[in-house]
Amino acid sequence: MINFSRVSLVYPTSTKTILEDLSFEIAEGEMVLVIGSTGTGKSSLLRLINGLVPHHTGGILAGDITVDGVSTQLVRPGELAHLVGIVGQNPAQGFVTDIVEEELAFGMEALNIAPDVMRKRVEEILDLLALAHLRNRAISTLSGGEQQRVAIGSALVMNPKVLVLDEPTSALDPIAAEEVLSILHRLVHDLSLTVVIAEHRLERVIGFADRIIHIAGDGSAEINLPEAILKRSDIAPPIVHLARALGLSDVGLSVRDVRRMTEEIRTSGKDIQRDVIPLGEIAISTNKLSLAYSEKKALNSVSTQIYSGEIVALMGRNGAGKSSLLTTLVGINKLSSGSSEICGIKSGDLKGLVRRETVGFIPQEPSDLLYGQSVESECKQADKDNQSIAGSTFALLKRIVPSINPETHPRDLSEGQRLALVLAIVISAKPKVLILDEPTRGLDYQSKALLISLLKNFAKELNRAVLIATHDVELVAELCDRVIFLAEGEVVADGPTLDILLSSPAFAPQVAKVMSPRPWLTVSDVMRAVAE
Amino acid sequence: MKSLHPLTWWIWSLLIVSAVISANSSWLAGISIAGATILVWRFAADAPWARSFWFSLKIGAFILVIRTIVGVLIGVPIPGTKIFEFPILPLPSWLAGIRIGGVITQERLLSSIHEGLIIVAVISLFGAAVSLTSPHKLLRVTPIVIYEFGVATVIATSALPNLVQSIARIRRARLLRGDEKPSWRSIALPLLEDSLSRSLELAAAMDARGYGVSRKRSRYRPISWRGLDSVVVFAAALILSYTLVVLR
Repeated sequence: MINFSRVSLVYPTSTKTILEDLSFEIAEGEMVLVIGSTGTGKSSLLRLINGLVPHHTGGILAGDITVDGVSTQLVRPGELAHLVGIVGQNPAQGFVTDIVEEELAFGMEALNIAPDVMRKRVEEILDLLALAHLRNRAISTLSGGEQQRVAIGSALVMNPKVLVLDEPTSALDPIAAEEVLSILHRLVHDLSLTVVIAEHRLERVIGFADRIIHIAGDGSAEINLPEAILKRSDIAPPIVHLARALGLSDVGLSVRDVRRMTEEIRTSGKDIQRDVIPLGEIAISTNKLSLAYSEKKALNSVSTQIYSGEIVALMGRNGAGKSSLLTTLVGINKLSSGSSEICGIKSGDLKGLVRRETVGFIPQEPSDLLYGQSVESECKQADKDNQSIAGSTFALLKRIVPSINPETHPRDLSEGQRLALVLAIVISAKPKVLILDEPTRGLDYQSKALLISLLKNFAKELNRAVLIATHDVELVAELCDRVIFLAEGEVVADGPTLDILLSSPAFAPQVAKVMSPRPWLTVSDVMRAVAE
Repeated sequence: MKSLHPLTWWIWSLLIVSAVISANSSWLAGISIAGATILVWRFAADAPWARSFWFSLKIGAFILVIRTIVGVLIGVPIPGTKIFEFPILPLPSWLAGIRIGGVITQERLLSSIHEGLIIVAVISLFGAAVSLTSPHKLLRVTPIVIYEFGVATVIATSALPNLVQSIARIRRARLLRGDEKPSWRSIALPLLEDSLSRSLELAAAMDARGYGVSRKRSRYRPISWRGLDSVVVFAAALILSYTLVVLR
């Protein structure tokens, strides 16, 4: 169905070769997963399939790419619209209309398809993706998972033979992600659709993939069966790390396979002692906090205490009020009732230097905090703001990312490096509380490991409180001591990570699913249990 | 109000703008600003682009103030009732005819405000048209023949609302870095990058979905021109013809 023959790609403004001499073939009805660290060219590879690269972005392309026999070099991306459906990283930015139904019809209208055919196809897609009850809703009012489904629907409605998705689950909570992926799985099996998907969180998609394309970052790429690639690759989901750590002969890709292989460990493993962290003083305190955006209630009577030295995860489905709670804590939203204090200072009274020294906040788009022309000038600005010794912020950044070039423009950094820069700036003020909103969105495993060790050091050695809103259960399992679970703006559960994550199958990390009923969340837990 | 034709408010605002300019009356300018405000406040949908009008009002107020100050202080004096007097700034002789400071007359102040008001009216009327019309709907009625124009329209009309959203987001982030009064540079740079990347993303999405491939476009649901549309446009046309015929 898709044929790459000797494809090389170079962007004119960069000296780096994105892809070099890449040849492979993807058959009809295959589900192929594209993996690689951030900035290695996953998105470029996906966009090559329908010709958005190089038609829309520029760049020099050598070799030939054909989709169903049509060469992408000879036609504009639009002329492949009936063959290839593409869903971008952020579907909200690609919507052209306001209403679900109209969005689904947009592509067909552009191709001048007769109104009665359009109606029929729109109905089919509404049913297929369970969107029928949302047909007249404004897209901007939908949740993240629903928007993702609309984006997939508007690609599918053209009856494409190939569907290309760029990180379709990165913004979704585990349940919504599961929904989207199982729909894709069904389409591959029922309609023999060819699906190419790029994703960082392998634990979510690995069970569905037929083959994997691994982009190394130096221009080379390998395409092979998942087992073969994951045996050696450093990009691997937790169960593969588990199999490697336990020295199993095969890497299993599904929870079921690995469960069968580890039966003995489950029975023979010893119970592990968990360190009880001594509670410090109260760092964050809210009492009956409520918040409403023009009639709609976002938070309802949230009362909680977070202590210094603690790393707390804030979890919940899309739209449960996580971001609202965080922004209220740092004093951006006006609360309707109740109180919120950080280290004894009312959230609303935080200002200037006092704010920087009390609470550091990293928003969902870390780049919002950046405006300098280079990494160096950003660091200098931070030094000046915090009245600290010149060069201390950059020294901190160097410790996190040794290879960083001070002359680089912040926009040209990779996702992970940019987060590191923002972290360095925020941490350089030594805030008593650090708050992060979805820090792992779009991060690869390497950057995530870096983030985890950094935050652990910060919280434990400096005895600071860290609060993270996230959908990433693996991150929570590795990093957090406690989980607060929000639903519809109310706290529905609050307790140690172990108890909360094990109590719901949807939010359980992969290792815990394999090792159930033993209460082990991570690979290191299992290793400790085996060793003791 | 949902069912009004997407072009209606644009035609309406163009007609009223022409009327305000041709009448050259600050009364009409004031009335049209008030009218636009009521219309937007009453009928604009609860959507991101609806906030554009209030943004355009703010820009308008800013222009009015600056223009009045500059207009009063610099320029050719108009004789009339004296309000108060500034010292005249000495200027080199080759700048004859221009002076800074001097006697502020009521006439001079009024004429500056008058001109400022007309500019504000023009800006706010366009802001109202953006606020009252969904940019996405507007795209559906633009003929496919002007493909580039269609893409540009969508991007331009969604740029202002996106700008408003982005400014709020970036200002919030700056505030979080403990920067109470962020400089325009620290907001403008991320803002520019943000809107540019959004626009490119949207253009790519439209391209990938086959926009502009076929010369003809079918309609999933016809957008029809109805009686109410005619009433709105007719009313605006009436005002324009009044200013053209009667006030001349």
